[in-house]
Amino acid sequence: MLKESLRPATAPARLGWTARLAAIVGGVACVIGLPLQAAPVDFSREIQPLLARKCFACHGPDKQEGGLRLDQSASALAELESGGRGIVAGDKEASLILERITATDPDIRMPPEGPRLTPAQVDALGHWIEEGAAWQEHWAFRPLLRPAVPAVENAPHPIDAFIRAGLARRGLPIPQPADKTALLRRATYDLTGLPPTQAELKDFLADESPQAFEKVVDRLLASPHYGEQWARHWLDLVRYADTNSFERDGAKPHAWRYRDYLIRSFNADKPFDQLTIEQIAGDELPEPSNDALIATGYYRLGVWDDEPADRAQFRYDWLDDIVATTGQTFLGLTVNCARCHDHKIDPIPQRDYYSMLSFFQNIVQGPSVERPIFASAEVRAEHDARVEDRQRRIDAAQQAVTAIETAFLAARDNPAAAPTESSDLDDLAFRFYRDTWTKLPDFDSLKAEDVGPVASQHFNITVAPSLRPDAFGYVFTGFLKVPADGDYTFTLDSDDGSRLSIDGKTVVEYDGIHGIGQPKTATVSLKAGRLPIRLDYFQWEHRKGLSVAWTGPGFENRPLSTGKKKGEQATKLAEAIAAEGEKILGADGKRDYDAKVAALEALKKETVPVEVASVVTEQGAQAPETFVLYRGNPHAETKPENRVEPAFPGILKAKQPVIPTPAPGATSTGRRTALAQWLVSPENQLTPRVLANRIWQYHFGRGIARSSSNFGMMGDPPTHPELLDWLATELISGGWHLKPLHRQIMLSQAYQAASTGDATASASDPLNDSFWRFDMRRLAAEEIRDAIHVASGDFNPKMEGPGVFVDIPKEVLAGQSVPGSGWGSSPAEEQARRSVYIHVKRSLITPILADFDLADTDTTCPVRFTTTQPTQALGMMNGAFLHKQARAFAARVKREVGGVDADNTQAEVRRALEIALTRQVSAEEVARGVALVDTLENADGVGPTRSLELFCLMVLNLNEFIYLD
Amino acid sequence: MHTPADPSGAGSFCRRTRRELFWEAGASFTGLALAGLLDQPFFARQTRAADGVAAFANPLAAKPPHFAPKAKSVIFLFMYGGPSQVDTFDYKPKLYGLDGQTIEVKTKGRGGEKNQGRVVGPKWKFKQYGACGKWVSDLFPHLSNHVDDIAFLHSMTADSPIHGSAMLQMNSGKIQSGAPCLGSWANYGLGSVNENLPGFVVMLDPTGGPISGAKNWSSGYMPATYQGTLLRSKGAPILDLAPPDDMSLESQRVMLDALREANTAHLLPRGDNTELAARIASYELAWKMQEHAPEAVDLTRETEETKQLYGIENPRTADFGRRCLLARRLVERGVRFVQLYSGGAHNDDNWDAHGDLEKNHNFHAGNTDQPIAALLTDLKRTGLLESTLVVWGGEFGRQPTAEYAAGTGRDHNAYGFTMWMAGGGIKGGVSVGETDELGAAAIAPVHDGRTGFHVKSLHATILHQLGLDPNRLSYFFGGLDQKLVGVEHVEPIREILA
Repeated sequence: MLKESLRPATAPARLGWTARLAAIVGGVACVIGLPLQAAPVDFSREIQPLLARKCFACHGPDKQEGGLRLDQSASALAELESGGRGIVAGDKEASLILERITATDPDIRMPPEGPRLTPAQVDALGHWIEEGAAWQEHWAFRPLLRPAVPAVENAPHPIDAFIRAGLARRGLPIPQPADKTALLRRATYDLTGLPPTQAELKDFLADESPQAFEKVVDRLLASPHYGEQWARHWLDLVRYADTNSFERDGAKPHAWRYRDYLIRSFNADKPFDQLTIEQIAGDELPEPSNDALIATGYYRLGVWDDEPADRAQFRYDWLDDIVATTGQTFLGLTVNCARCHDHKIDPIPQRDYYSMLSFFQNIVQGPSVERPIFASAEVRAEHDARVEDRQRRIDAAQQAVTAIETAFLAARDNPAAAPTESSDLDDLAFRFYRDTWTKLPDFDSLKAEDVGPVASQHFNITVAPSLRPDAFGYVFTGFLKVPADGDYTFTLDSDDGSRLSIDGKTVVEYDGIHGIGQPKTATVSLKAGRLPIRLDYFQWEHRKGLSVAWTGPGFENRPLSTGKKKGEQATKLAEAIAAEGEKILGADGKRDYDAKVAALEALKKETVPVEVASVVTEQGAQAPETFVLYRGNPHAETKPENRVEPAFPGILKAKQPVIPTPAPGATSTGRRTALAQWLVSPENQLTPRVLANRIWQYHFGRGIARSSSNFGMMGDPPTHPELLDWLATELISGGWHLKPLHRQIMLSQAYQAASTGDATASASDPLNDSFWRFDMRRLAAEEIRDAIHVASGDFNPKMEGPGVFVDIPKEVLAGQSVPGSGWGSSPAEEQARRSVYIHVKRSLITPILADFDLADTDTTCPVRFTTTQPTQALGMMNGAFLHKQARAFAARVKREVGGVDADNTQAEVRRALEIALTRQVSAEEVARGVALVDTLENADGVGPTRSLELFCLMVLNLNEFIYLD
Repeated sequence: MHTPADPSGAGSFCRRTRRELFWEAGASFTGLALAGLLDQPFFARQTRAADGVAAFANPLAAKPPHFAPKAKSVIFLFMYGGPSQVDTFDYKPKLYGLDGQTIEVKTKGRGGEKNQGRVVGPKWKFKQYGACGKWVSDLFPHLSNHVDDIAFLHSMTADSPIHGSAMLQMNSGKIQSGAPCLGSWANYGLGSVNENLPGFVVMLDPTGGPISGAKNWSSGYMPATYQGTLLRSKGAPILDLAPPDDMSLESQRVMLDALREANTAHLLPRGDNTELAARIASYELAWKMQEHAPEAVDLTRETEETKQLYGIENPRTADFGRRCLLARRLVERGVRFVQLYSGGAHNDDNWDAHGDLEKNHNFHAGNTDQPIAALLTDLKRTGLLESTLVVWGGEFGRQPTAEYAAGTGRDHNAYGFTMWMAGGGIKGGVSVGETDELGAAAIAPVHDGRTGFHVKSLHATILHQLGLDPNRLSYFFGGLDQKLVGVEHVEPIREILA
């Protein structure tokens, strides 16, 4: 090729990283003898990441120091303020950037901070300029096209064709296949997160047909444990937890339904486009299914501050969490980096951030917004009928009681005074809040400090035990006893703001800061019966007060609030009837009254059970405006020119969303539907690439692009871009089903390759960029814990349901401000369930899971850490959990080899190793194990049972137990 | 704003080291693969362990600082709940006379924002101490003798007057959870010089942990390697440090030898996977920790005089005294970051004096005054004070006015409060920053473009004394170079640097 001819003959050509480094260290001469395969510098892999990491912060989309901008061709080649040119294509001598990066004067050398460019990097940059300094569009932003499968001999599987083409380019050999035992263990953990059984191993070893492994893959894909394992990957991405974090770290009582929804969906192989739409906008689907509603719990999984110091700040922090999680999880874009200013590296202007945010602007914020869910339309109808029936019976019972009370009062006193003694409210309860407001807040999204019943059945702003003089608020809820159909006038006066609502509709609104003395009134038409009533009230500072009354057919200005000197009227009426009831109503009448009251109270206690899910809701069909906020400050001035509409990131060149006008009566804007549909539309090249890459990552331990949530310029370019695009198109053409893709990947020889080392390959490709072997991996935290339960024999495969509380050492609970708070204790068999079912309390992570690098719960996690540290060893050697499981493991082994006969040591040791490692065990290994048991028994005087327990503990600590080949 | 040559700002964004790149890309490649990816210093750490077989790449191995440090260790005395500045170190003579009067003053606490309130005069007398003549209240009869070693920061500010978020900010710089704590940053930046002890140690009050529990010593988005370890002053100091009663050390050693033998056999055909070797070594390290950690917390090795100095014989001061003495023993052994909580749980179990101010502060100051003074004395006489930075303070301060209609309780105050530092290259006998004449809010100096010293400035100062550039120490996460002090440039408080 012409370009190659431009390269000086002495250049260290396209060798692997290490070889190139060696070449530089040892002088150019040493390249002789190594396989030379001249190839042009790869802009995507070698130049763009270098420029992005080292230069863009000052010479990129956001800033252009000295007029130099290096993220696009035209500006990089243009004349600078100084008169020179940063890059002159084909002429590295004239290119100022090379002069500056190689300068010896630290005041002149670029970059000004951090390590200087390595000789290899300088070299690559020089060659690229010599070769013509051609820019390419960033790999991830290019349209997604199906690449041709390379023609490679003896590679019947398309994936292997791509992999082998790469190996051939590097002169690396095709790896040997893994042995069947290792492969079974690898595949079983991969798809189910659990070890294979002895029987499964035996079957697989016995099956010599070419389809033997295919059958295993199909069996595993059909296992319900598949959904548990793969849902767990997704839970990392959506920062799943069952609590809110912050001071109270309160529970999100229905988050587990979202977890179970994922497990069900993965097991059913629900297409991922559907899974995406359900999570982002399931509520906006026509006739949404329960699962579609539960899926929107996606928006409720993050941290929630119920007592923010700055409400506006928290509102935007909350939205930022949604934008960051959605952007990184579905698009692999760190849109969140453009919150305060244009993105420094990727071409994402701040405007794009707020356009993205505006898709979510209208969401009702809160840690848990609940909505009933029903198994079927029949169940819903039955539920509604029961609710209606209950209400009807309560109304009737109430009317019967009220009739007697009215008669009692009428007979006893003069009728005018009577009503003040009773209350027209019932079942009144209060919620008390503390904070400073100047307008009524959305109390439902706030944490109440106190809640309780109001015995007087009158609105009473001194009822909360923890009352404070100023800066507080109340919500009262209860029922208004409407005696007859007709028009009723309500009078409301308050200091400061208040709002009266009946049956969910606002009747009188008197918001803001004001004094008392100018009451507001409103007249509404009401039906007879018990109607839900609600009063919101807040007190800012200085004087306070609340007065509510109503007028209706046959009565005038009856108070609904506690008067200045009137106390517990309802109690008084009850006392009066208790004292004088018999006299006035007669003995039978009194008995009848008591029975009716008792019946009413019993009815009120009756509940109609219903299941609820935590879902997304919006504030209505009209979204508030969204503005670009200067430096991300939520208090920044909102100028009209900074107003944005929902839009997709400009860099993706997508058509802008057309959001239909919501239908009359719509309760949401439809914005999220537009976003969800675009995410999975052919117009969006990122989501399928991101998803295919994740699937690959969970199979191979690393993505084809390693930074699986950052496909931007700071991310790691894919090692096999064509393979990635091929997989992405395969995903789409397969209808977004994951199971066929798993199958395809696992049936490749690349997946079935041995993990054995190779000195030559390892020297030329130490990162295994080319997949010259299958990388070993350590089990994830949950897999380790689950495998321990499987080995000890107490594993409980029960699926789904609310979170499980496992035993946590009291030393760990002592770290809480109230030790044990928010943590329960589940029965032993529940504790032996899979780790995915453990209640995730953000401030109290189960120790063994935390030790082995569980994903952080507060931010989206694309790749888990694998740390090795002595605290893990301490827990595995000395911890209560391990010792308990080792005892159970030993008991199981004893049981399975036929009782407690001491002569069975050999069989016991063999059995324990086979259970834990699922492979054939050698006589030598058994002999070593027996020797250990004997040493413990003889030398250390430990009894035979205990010595086997300690042996089992040792087995659970083996590297082989938690590492896969 | 920044010229390319300006080292403080130009590169202060979105760069990452290869090490961080590695963490984000996933640490699940084998150790050998790692070697190709990481910068040179990493190779230097791939030393063979004593047994000659296992290479343990200790992620906490000591790393060079950015520049010559003044302090090697930090002891953070966390006065949880928020001590009142006007009753401790921020002398406001005018406030006594205003006691009981309702005045105009802007406050924000858990009770919301207010524009006026009833003054609660300081409940203790102030006297001058030391060559510097520092005014200190009668709450601290012992500590007041050390003012010439202390730099007082009187105009601290924080973003939140609510415990949960304010605790998170004082510990991690952010009011949201999920970010690594100060001790994690110190260990990420510098590693630890004693591999037998954790590098970030937290000792709690006997009444319980602070609000948000483990979030206050979490490593957030960094690996668990950098998270704080709870250390107890009684019983087994670290969780699972001691084998259970039914496993003797001898049995454990026999088991460990068998484990090593089996693991070595497993390693043989997989010799290029250094993770396996590292895990073998981690068991030997755990064994050594079992041996050495109890020694580190064994106070019987201290003289009677020392124990008396810390008030260990006195029930009131015994607990905090023991923990202060432990802190000295830990920094002596190279532990990088030690945090002690005065106060735990809720309400009056900590400095959160909403009800009876006198009772609350007398109690907590009385428990801690002598031990803290002893710690300073002891560090000084052993020469450790020069290399140990001692930090004192709560997540915020308290208001000059009353919270309720009656009583002396004060609500939270993040507009202005006092913290102090000593040792580790800090100037003694100085007081910087000012609150208004009521002690309600910071009024000076202007630092980084805002009034008073924000929590970020405190963090920047601590990192700076450890030899770390707060504007450079970064960790790549979520597409951003995350820093303890945030993206904007933050200056250390140079006025107090020796």
